[in-house]
Order: sequence, then C-alpha cells, then structure tokens
Amino acid sequence: MSKDPNEGLSDLTTSRVTGVIGLVGSLTYIVAALRIEDSLLADAVGASGVPVAVGMLMAVASVALLVKGFALSSTVKMPLATGKGGRHTPADSPLRPHGLAAGLLVILVAYLVALPWLGYIVSIGLLSAAVGWFAGGRERKTLLGFALLTGPILWFLFDFALKVHMPAGFWPKLFTG
Amino acid sequence: MDSVLNSLGSLASVWVVAAAFAGVLWGILGGALPGISPSIAMALLLPFTAGMSPTVALVLLASVYVGAEYGGSIPAILIRTPGTNSAAATVIDGFEMAKQGKAGEALGISLVSGLVGGLFGLVVLVLATESLAKVALAFTPAAYFSLGILGLSVIAGLSGGSLLKGLIAASIGLMIAFVGSDPVSGVSRFTFGSADLLDGVKPIIVMVGLFAVTEMLVQIGEPAWAKADKTTSRLKLPDWAMWKRLFRPQAIGAAVGTFEGVTPGAGGTVAAFMAYSESKRWSKHPEEYGHGSPEGVAAPEAANNVVTATALVPLLSLGIPGSNSAAILMGGFLIHGLQPGPMLFSKAPEVVYGLYGGLFIANIAMLLIGLVILNPCIWLVNRPKPYLIAGILALVMTGVYALHQSVFDIAMALGIGVLGYGMRLLRIPVLPMVLGLVLGYMVESNYRRSLLISGGEHSIFVTDLVSAGLLALAVVLTAYTGFKEFTDRKSKA
Repeated sequence: MSKDPNEGLSDLTTSRVTGVIGLVGSLTYIVAALRIEDSLLADAVGASGVPVAVGMLMAVASVALLVKGFALSSTVKMPLATGKGGRHTPADSPLRPHGLAAGLLVILVAYLVALPWLGYIVSIGLLSAAVGWFAGGRERKTLLGFALLTGPILWFLFDFALKVHMPAGFWPKLFTG
Repeated sequence: MDSVLNSLGSLASVWVVAAAFAGVLWGILGGALPGISPSIAMALLLPFTAGMSPTVALVLLASVYVGAEYGGSIPAILIRTPGTNSAAATVIDGFEMAKQGKAGEALGISLVSGLVGGLFGLVVLVLATESLAKVALAFTPAAYFSLGILGLSVIAGLSGGSLLKGLIAASIGLMIAFVGSDPVSGVSRFTFGSADLLDGVKPIIVMVGLFAVTEMLVQIGEPAWAKADKTTSRLKLPDWAMWKRLFRPQAIGAAVGTFEGVTPGAGGTVAAFMAYSESKRWSKHPEEYGHGSPEGVAAPEAANNVVTATALVPLLSLGIPGSNSAAILMGGFLIHGLQPGPMLFSKAPEVVYGLYGGLFIANIAMLLIGLVILNPCIWLVNRPKPYLIAGILALVMTGVYALHQSVFDIAMALGIGVLGYGMRLLRIPVLPMVLGLVLGYMVESNYRRSLLISGGEHSIFVTDLVSAGLLALAVVLTAYTGFKEFTDRKSKA
C-alpha cells in the first residue's frame, strides 16, 4: 500500500484523534440504534441488539485508545509534526496533498451531478480530461484524446457489449422534442 | 476414481474446451474491471446459455468464475484496486511488489498460485465432495455464527500493530453491514429514509471506494511513481527457489480455501484474508508481509482460486449456493431443468462429470490466457501518472454505476473513499473493516437464529459441537496472535 497521506502525524496524535472520533461516532451510533422501532415479529435480541453491542465495542476500544494516547504522552516526548528538515516551505507544504485530494473530490462530485443531466459519454469524457489536467497532464492533444475517446470506448464496452445501459442525459430530448 | 474417468470424457468435447477458454477470457476481463464482480460477469452471460447444452453452459459459467478470480488480482497488483472482493488481500503485498518494480514477478506468482489453488480445489471437489458435504450438512446456525467469529478472529493479525484501531475498523465494517433490512423482523435500520439503502450497502461498492477512490485521492498528492523497467516488468514465472518458498503459503491457502469453500457463506474473500493472516503467522519472514512479500501474494491467490472449485461442493451435493457466483451457477442448472443436490448425481451424472472436466480445462486456460494477457496489463503501469489516474477513475466511476445503474452508488463509493482517506490519515487499518463488512450479516443473522432455536440460551454455542470447535479455534488463533505480538515486542525492546 502507498504511504500515509500525512506522515507528519505522530502515533499519539492519531491515537487521540481516532479515540475522540471513535467515541463520538460510537455513541451517536448507539443512540441511533436504540431509536430503531421493533416490529411485532421481533425476537428477544431485537433489531437494535447486535448494533448496540457493536457500538459499545467500538466505544470501549475508543476509550482504551484515548487512555493509551494520554498515558503514553506522559512518558514519551511528542515529536513535532513537521515536514522534511523540520521546516515547511510553500512548495512542500504538508497540507498540499490534502488540498489536491479535496480538489479531485470536487471534480468527482461535479461528475456525479452532471451525469444524469449531460449523459454518460459527455460527462465521463469531461471527467477524464479534467482529472488528467488536474493531476498534472499538460499535453493538449492527449487531454483532447482522453476527452473524446474515453466516453465512446467505455460506452461501447458497457452499454453495447455488456448491455449495461448508461444515462443518455438531455440529448435525446433535443431530437424528440 | 470413476468420477475422474468420467470427467476425462468431456476433455474430448470441442465445445466444452471452447466454452472453458471463452469463459476464462471473459472472466479475466470482467474480473480486471473494477466494479464487475465474478457474479456479475457470470450473470451477464447467463441469458445466452439457455440455447446451449447443459454441460457446455455450466462449464462456460464456471470458467467465468475461475477467470474472474484470477483477473481480480491484476488491477489489485498493478493499481491497488481489487477487481473482485476476494482480491482485496492480494493488494497488500502485490501492490508493494509492483511499487518495487516487481509487478511481473507478483503477477507470475499470482498466476501460478491461482493455478495450484484451482487444481487443488478441483481435486478436492472431485474426490471428496460427498464426505465434505457431510461436514457442511452438520452446520447449524450456531456453527455459522461461530464460523463468523472465527473469521473475525483474524482481525488481530490484520491490525498492523494496533489491535484497538483494528477493532474500531472492524466495528465500522460491521456497522455498514447492518444497514438495510433487519434479517429477522425486516425492520429498516440506518437507512435514513433512503430507498437506496433498504437492500443494504453492497460490499463491492465499499471495496471500490475504500481501495480505488481512496488510493486516487492519495496518489494525486504524491509524486509520480517509479516506472517498472523492462526487466522487472516482464512476466516472471517463479524459479525453483521461489517455488520452494511459495510451497508453504500455497499449502496454507489450499487448506483454508478448502475449508472456507465448502462452508456456505464464507467465500473467497474470507478465505483470502484468512490465508494471508495464517500464512503470515506461520512464515519464517513475517516482517516482510505488507512490504512486498511473495508469500503474501501466493497465499490469498491460492485460497481464492481453491474456493472457485470447493464452493461448488455444497451446491452440487446439497443444492445450497454458498456464494453469489454459486447462485448464478445454480441459475444455469435451473435454466436447463436441473436441480442441484444429491439427486443430481443419479439424474444427470454426465453434467456433473462434464463440469469437473471443464473446470480442469478452465484452469489450464487460465494459465495460457494469463501468460498472454499479463504483459499488456503491465504496460499499463508505465503510462504517465496523470492519465493513468484519469483512466482509472473513469473506469471506476463507470463500473460502480454499472452495478445497479445507480448514481447513488457513485455517491456512496465517493463517501467511502473519503472515509478511507481519513482512515489512512489516522493510520487505521482498512482490512479489518472489510472483514467486518463481509461477515456482519452472517454473524448477526445466525446469532439471532440460534437464540430463537435455543429459546434465548447462549449455551447453544458451546453445546453444539461444531460451534464449540470453531469458537475454540477462534480463541486459540487470537491468543496465539496476541502472544506472538507480545513476544515480538519484547524481543524488539
């Protein structure tokens, strides 16, 4: 597997953050599970029984992780979460990978929104070109080729060959009125 | 011996041979496409089998299963995206080997381990079907619950040094598994009023989100990966020294795959993870696991290919489809008016023996087609990273939509991808989450069914001998892992 997105975080930090998120998440989950209304067909355990037990398991593990995190902090000196050489420059900011990930996510969400409207062939072509450019591809011909060919090739594979119908978008309405 | 001799007859049929090769080719391509599971690849062919003879139709479908299990490992190794659920364990060391410029070696190990597993599974299927079926016949709901617990017990070995984080990850997986209708009363749980969640969250969507989407979110922020050079990216079949090294993990994979395969509901994914964990436990070099260990590729690949054959044991002997793929194969039987089960051996023995023979050809076809199809796949790794990311995401988004023609599934995969990114950030292992996800339904439904049978008495889990044995095994495995980690830490200190 590739390396962690942020190698600057110490084990103590990840343990504490995981413990807090896990505890809040598990308690929220337990509350949601307890609100499940059982039907007349319910058994003794009920629809919420096992989920509550799993929520409790996660809560206990989260508390243990928190205790471990704070117990260790009293004996271990926490290293500073710094980048190379202990200094950050604008070029190798530790936040840059997260910014790029967020940017990619925005493109993917835009694809999600555009798919039913623009149809599969156009939106997947735009997605390919946009991601290629965003990831650092700067060859115009390649990007154009990606935009023009990805849609038809994948459409042929899935829609035509595998009979998995993809969204057509608003285009058919233009021709049928 | 009669079974073997009868199976040989099908080897002379041109149509059976053609069906095996075509099925494997289709399966490898389908398995290599993220989002197309073996069962989907089989289901797409199912309507076309109606006009074929029963033997040819069933060999075609079963061969797709064989091919897809191998095909799933190709993107797992090359692009850290398991093409099938059961290839998820192959990602761990397969992708690490690819990053070290050993993609060709990893793919060669995957291919031969798959072949070894497939042929071993076939031998088990042919020679021991009836006796192994008796074991599965003895499984009660309590035993199934304990089997799930046994599966979950490998979490300790998959937690990457933090059992607490592993438990949290497994809990997340279980929580996702509980989304949808309650298995006993049918009450909706955690659906938030969404009709899309009534049938639960499909594991393949979680897998694609957790592995593919997360990886792309991480990769976009990292410098270009090293390209595989020509010498390392050539397909490299293991030499004798490597074969000797792979013998133990392959044997473990074969044993685990046999056990999990004949047990309905367990399947290739659990088998692959268990084989990986057990192989690591018994390895002379456990420290290499997770860092590009050849054994870490061999064990899960042998295991999930064993399952392609052994999963047919409960189907053929009892008429119980233990997996999605077995259910599709059962559909192939029903289309031709055949009912899988004990009577099949007396009513249509030629179909059963033809299927055995076809599976043998399918495994040989997997090796031959695999040799040809691997190099083009390796070529993919050397494409410029920005376009590779764009191409992978286009394929992933298309594959996720193709599962149910649902935009909601894409949103789900993106959401899981973000979750996976957060887990990577916090160094929470994702594999226990996958295990919790695939075992959640089995554990909960059989736990509650057992209590219904026993009138609420938990003693049923220890008075049932099979259940007690499985639970004892789970305790031994967990204790052994804990003890080994403790001694390892002590020796390091």
